[in-house]
Amino acid sequence: MSATTVTAPPVAARPSTGSGLSAPGVIRSEWIKLRSLRSTVWSYAIVVVVSLGMAYLLSSALGTSEFGALVDSPEHTLLQAATFGTSFGVLVVAVLGVLVISGEYTTGMARSTFTAVPKRLPALAAKAAVLFVTTFVVGLVGSIASGALAFVVLGSNGVHPEITSEVITGVLLASLYLAAVALFALGLGTILRSSAGGIAAALGILLLLPTIVMVFASVTQAQWAADVIPYLLVNAGESMMLPSPDGLALWESTLTVGLWAVVPLVIGALLLKRRDV
Amino acid sequence: MSRGIPLSSLEGMITAEGLSKRYGAKTAVNDISFTVQPGAVTGFLGPNGAGKSTTMRMVVGLDRPTTGSVLVNGKRYAEHAAPLREVGALLDAKAVHTGRSAYNHLLAMGATHGIGKARVNEVIGMTGLESVAGKRVGGFSLGMGQRLGIAAALLGDPATLILDEPVNGLDPDGVLWVRTLVRSLAAEGRTVFLSSHLMSEMAVTADHLIVLGRGSIIADAPMAEILAAATGSSVRLRSPQAGALAQALAAPDVTVTSTEADLLTVTGLTASQVGETAARAGIVLHELTPGNASLEQAYMELTQNDVEYQTTTVATSQEVAR
Repeated sequence: MSATTVTAPPVAARPSTGSGLSAPGVIRSEWIKLRSLRSTVWSYAIVVVVSLGMAYLLSSALGTSEFGALVDSPEHTLLQAATFGTSFGVLVVAVLGVLVISGEYTTGMARSTFTAVPKRLPALAAKAAVLFVTTFVVGLVGSIASGALAFVVLGSNGVHPEITSEVITGVLLASLYLAAVALFALGLGTILRSSAGGIAAALGILLLLPTIVMVFASVTQAQWAADVIPYLLVNAGESMMLPSPDGLALWESTLTVGLWAVVPLVIGALLLKRRDV
Repeated sequence: MSRGIPLSSLEGMITAEGLSKRYGAKTAVNDISFTVQPGAVTGFLGPNGAGKSTTMRMVVGLDRPTTGSVLVNGKRYAEHAAPLREVGALLDAKAVHTGRSAYNHLLAMGATHGIGKARVNEVIGMTGLESVAGKRVGGFSLGMGQRLGIAAALLGDPATLILDEPVNGLDPDGVLWVRTLVRSLAAEGRTVFLSSHLMSEMAVTADHLIVLGRGSIIADAPMAEILAAATGSSVRLRSPQAGALAQALAAPDVTVTSTEADLLTVTGLTASQVGETAARAGIVLHELTPGNASLEQAYMELTQNDVEYQTTTVATSQEVAR
């Protein structure tokens, strides 16, 4: 090929203003991305509204005489009412968690994201951090508001729980569980890169897997299958929020939920680093 | 292939060395090496599936090369501390979440590099998106999507711009706007690497051309050189004695092809040279038409030679032997 002699004029005084790629910058970027989508706003609104609705229903039902005397302590009843909505909220945040990343792949946004952050993993880490913190805060707002509502409703029915440390811990753990499920779904979305596939996988593991394992265990009488049941994500999450003496210990259920959240994300991260965008 | 470039002009230079990309058994890009110089618009031309987009994606690290490497300013794109300030890329007009507004898209992109609202508003102004910046991208026309993609590429005020089919879907005003923008960016000393299938557009925009065909580089030369090679190189003539004339014209740098019995297309000679040769040999000419030199033609010749090289030579030798 022929040699070219393009005499380049000196590059225009490029402003060296502003900084380069930075972790706070990437986190800010992911926060802007999360808050600027309607699906996020809707999902979180549904989480809070469902939580409030469940708290109202449960506290009115538990407080009436038709149900007789409370089986549990007033405190446990309050905690149950405050966190009952979380069991439904996890389904919503699971969908959101998948969409946060799969939406980037289906729309092509991923190419913009990973052009801006070509090392890729900082973008995923920032996405995970922002999703986790936001979901935790929304969960906390939802269960505190639900707890307050339940407190009032129970009170009007003559039940007067105290705000014990167990109630506070339970509310915190419920929010932690909710945020962990969002991460779990983000991991699945990163692995599968498809909205339909990711949502199906996430909801399948949350909703169907416990039933499948239970049926399998009862049909085959396999002890290992029965042993696995408490470690499934939903069951571990339930015993994290409302520990019972015959279930997993709190540290066990929290660790289990943590693994459910982290393992898919790590697999997703490895794939993200290796694959073409 | 040292060009003796002073070190300072490494700013913005793209260098590919033995770059290949294979997807399973399919080779998209096959061992290509090229350099894109600052201060000029380098056109990247090739038919669909030639590997242009794959090459551009490899420059910014979205696709991993199977072999070889591509560097910007002597470093891999991902190794730069501020990638968006080095390279601005428009790779796909649809690289935007459809549910987000143009403004928020740019704000999120810029935030990664500490680029704030002021610069976002500036690029929105530069690309004429003021009236739609607050609207969700899902409702954008292809042209508006392209403008947004260009705005995103300009965000970091980069020394290098990689634009994959930037005029795709733009109206004539938009095409002119991109042409002017691209020319002025190069005039400022930036590196502009531009792909397009619109050869007429390339002819008025690019200074240098890299032509890609089936994953390999067919030509890498200044625009003027490629056009000059095409000028006069194609002469169409009709003669009842076509076979004899083909023999008379035969020379190392001359190619004679024939599609009809009395029709010849000669490359490597001007129309006057062909006419004089015919006169000397006493051969009757019914038609002598010099080809109109255009990039389109040069491009067709380049890619045709690549694809149909064998057939052409066979036809020529048959014709000459007659």
